[in-house]
Amino acid sequence: MQLNNNSNSSSKSRPVGRALAAATCALLGVQATGSLAKGQPGEWDVETALLVYSEADDRVQAAEPVISATRNFDGERKLNLKLVADTLTGASPSGATPSELPQTFTTPSGNGSYQIAPREAPLDDTFKDTRVAISTNWEAPINRDYAYSLGAYGSREYDYISTAVNGTLSRYLDNKNTTLTGGLSLGLDLVDPVGGAPVGLSRMPLSNNKSQADFDQEFAATRESDDSKTVIDALFGVTQVINRQMLMQFTYGLSYSSGYLTDPYKILSVIDDASGANYGGNLIGDDGNPVYLYEQRPDTRLKQSLYWQTKYMLGNGDIVDGSYRFMIDDWGITSHTLDLKYRWRLGKSYLEPHVRYYLQSEADFYKRYLTASEYNAGAPVMTEASADYRLGEMTGLTFGAKWGYRFDDDRELAVRAEYLTQTNDGDQGFGSLASQDLYPDTNAMWLQLSYSF
Amino acid sequence: MNTIAVSAEDNPAGHPLPRLLGGQSSWQGRFEAMASPCEILADGVTREYAERALAYAAKEAWRLEQKFSRYVSGNPVDRINRSRGEPVTVDEEMALMLDYAAQCHDLSDGRFDITSGVLRRAWRFDGSDNLPEHEHTSALLKLVGWNRLSWQGPQLTLPAGMEIDFGGIGKEYAVDRVLLGLKRSLPEGGSVLVNFGGDLACSGPRTNGKAWIVGMEDHQKLSDSSETLSLHGGALATSGDSRRYLLKNGVRYSHILDPHTGWPVPDAPHSVTVAAPTCTLAGMLATFAMLQGAEAERFLEQQDVQFWVQR
Amino acid sequence: MPDSHLFYRSRRQTRNALTLATFLTATVLTAGCSNLGVKPWERDLLADPDMQLTVSGVDAGLDDHIYFSKEASSGGRGFGGGGCGCN
Repeated sequence: MQLNNNSNSSSKSRPVGRALAAATCALLGVQATGSLAKGQPGEWDVETALLVYSEADDRVQAAEPVISATRNFDGERKLNLKLVADTLTGASPSGATPSELPQTFTTPSGNGSYQIAPREAPLDDTFKDTRVAISTNWEAPINRDYAYSLGAYGSREYDYISTAVNGTLSRYLDNKNTTLTGGLSLGLDLVDPVGGAPVGLSRMPLSNNKSQADFDQEFAATRESDDSKTVIDALFGVTQVINRQMLMQFTYGLSYSSGYLTDPYKILSVIDDASGANYGGNLIGDDGNPVYLYEQRPDTRLKQSLYWQTKYMLGNGDIVDGSYRFMIDDWGITSHTLDLKYRWRLGKSYLEPHVRYYLQSEADFYKRYLTASEYNAGAPVMTEASADYRLGEMTGLTFGAKWGYRFDDDRELAVRAEYLTQTNDGDQGFGSLASQDLYPDTNAMWLQLSYSF
Repeated sequence: MNTIAVSAEDNPAGHPLPRLLGGQSSWQGRFEAMASPCEILADGVTREYAERALAYAAKEAWRLEQKFSRYVSGNPVDRINRSRGEPVTVDEEMALMLDYAAQCHDLSDGRFDITSGVLRRAWRFDGSDNLPEHEHTSALLKLVGWNRLSWQGPQLTLPAGMEIDFGGIGKEYAVDRVLLGLKRSLPEGGSVLVNFGGDLACSGPRTNGKAWIVGMEDHQKLSDSSETLSLHGGALATSGDSRRYLLKNGVRYSHILDPHTGWPVPDAPHSVTVAAPTCTLAGMLATFAMLQGAEAERFLEQQDVQFWVQR
Repeated sequence: MPDSHLFYRSRRQTRNALTLATFLTATVLTAGCSNLGVKPWERDLLADPDMQLTVSGVDAGLDDHIYFSKEASSGGRGFGGGGCGCN
């Protein structure tokens, strides 16, 4: 009996102390966790990381250092600066199909060619690049009920420049239990592909069986001038505190891009569908070489997405983080993304396993290959086509984990590893094409080391 | 010793100017505010910094005194107390204070109530045996109760006859505000302690890593500290009735009134001192403990803080 | 023609999308703000840095960039985060 009384009064008193501490911090405007170290005005909080990325089968390898610094000012205002560099090497699928015979392709610059062995997946490995990106973001409250943010972004690689500015406005309701956010982003990208942008669905010139002068002429004829792409993004979000342990966010996003949306380095194979010995093989053109076409995508794209995230803290302090994203666009692609993380909190360190499941349908204009009939001797029946596997039917599964150690309120060291497997599906081909592996898996692994101080 | 110049605008109550003593990077600044002797101790700083710190501390303390005192005619609290039931729009700082008062009212089950100030009309704690009539206190109870007013930020509507009084929060809040302001500009290796009449907070240990030595007043002697505390960081606040009580028939009536009954909380300790990360929190925990009366020690044991209770 | 039977024609997808959108909006609106939320002094757990919606902006940025270059979708939680030549 006495034990009950004691536990009753103690369960009432203990939350009072903690709750009172939280209330006092709200009054004084300091962080409720009592950790005044991070987020103190006049200090820089810096996060540095190095990511190493590697795909199986000699495909893309990348190393990416990042540094992100946030400076806090009085009154909950903060400025963030972020610098990212990534160096990319290795090969990626060009969109062509594997064949019984060896294949030769022209490099994007037009100054060379590369060979692919029989039955080997055509990968274009002339793709080496370093990209540098810098972004900045400023956040500040307007008054008790409103806050805003402004951001800018710029990145440069040798064939691509991307710039964007964005702004958001947030409104707090119900004691900051509900936050409504609206945002707009405007971006302009400049595309300057190596060798110039190819004319969509024009034939890739091949140097075999012809003079250099003829090849050069053919190459020049398939070039377009430099191009650009504008992107307008809008988002509307609601963040809602559900209860003491749970927080949710719903975001609706809209993205409209217009301009040069095609990948200048991707091609499609044209497959002979005439009955006979070459049924299912590469169509041979008038110059005795196989026919490959540069891809062409539409010049506008409208994407809409719905995103829902929940964070839930369990009784023992562990945290579950789950999210679902639904995306649909006017290219005919629908995708679902399910992401789940569980953070085990163990004193000064934590371990967070992670799983992500991704499902995507193919674009309306996705074609693993074109048939000779569709190619129609140089006057293709369609205006858009792409064999880029990233626009096809795809399932992706990622498994990973992150381990972190917190030295104190300011400093943390963390290691993260993720492993991704992507499988694709679609048209299985016909004739001799049907015996090729048209949809190899993509397996990638990345490792990240980070240190914050 | 030198006197710090403060303009009349920053010193509306006309307090004596602050004085700076000390030398060799160890300074002691003194002034008066909120009916208490106030001091700023600074270690490992130059004279220029100490002068600036003292000037800032005095100005900020006087600003808060003017804003939250119920004796200053025309200030926000006065306007609220004279609003006669009309809604009053308050500024951000006052809104945060009212939110805090609301939370403290809730967390103390209504024992902490900033509308209970009107009860002082019945009670005069001068050490005599003049207890008020029950009818008087019952009548005043009709004007007491946080639930009787309407606080919907940024508007406060106080029924006619009621009053709000920030006496239970003001001094400790001022200590924290001044300390936060000083910490922002504190040079590397410097440390500072803010002490307003026994409610104090520091930025960390002294420059040589040693603790600040704080004297604790003993209620029975009423002067001359005997016990001392070593403070390495955080804050201390005391809720006590050393000089304010009534004594009748051997029963001591402390000045901590229960807003539900209008009478003092029975068996309240003589004083409670609490150590906590901030002065406001320490002061509020001490006040809550006093309001628990006989249960003060048990309450503080469960809050996981260091405390000293004198009975 | 895709072998996979997991995906239907665009029109049905659009209908599904609209249904989902309506459902989510209705949930948010009917849930309302009246019985959801906490008092200011109950924010102790939510104030934990690990309870932020995005705990590490750096991790999120790196992963977003990887998935942007490997998939047809991007964004969701916030803005795309900047373009690149990788897609």
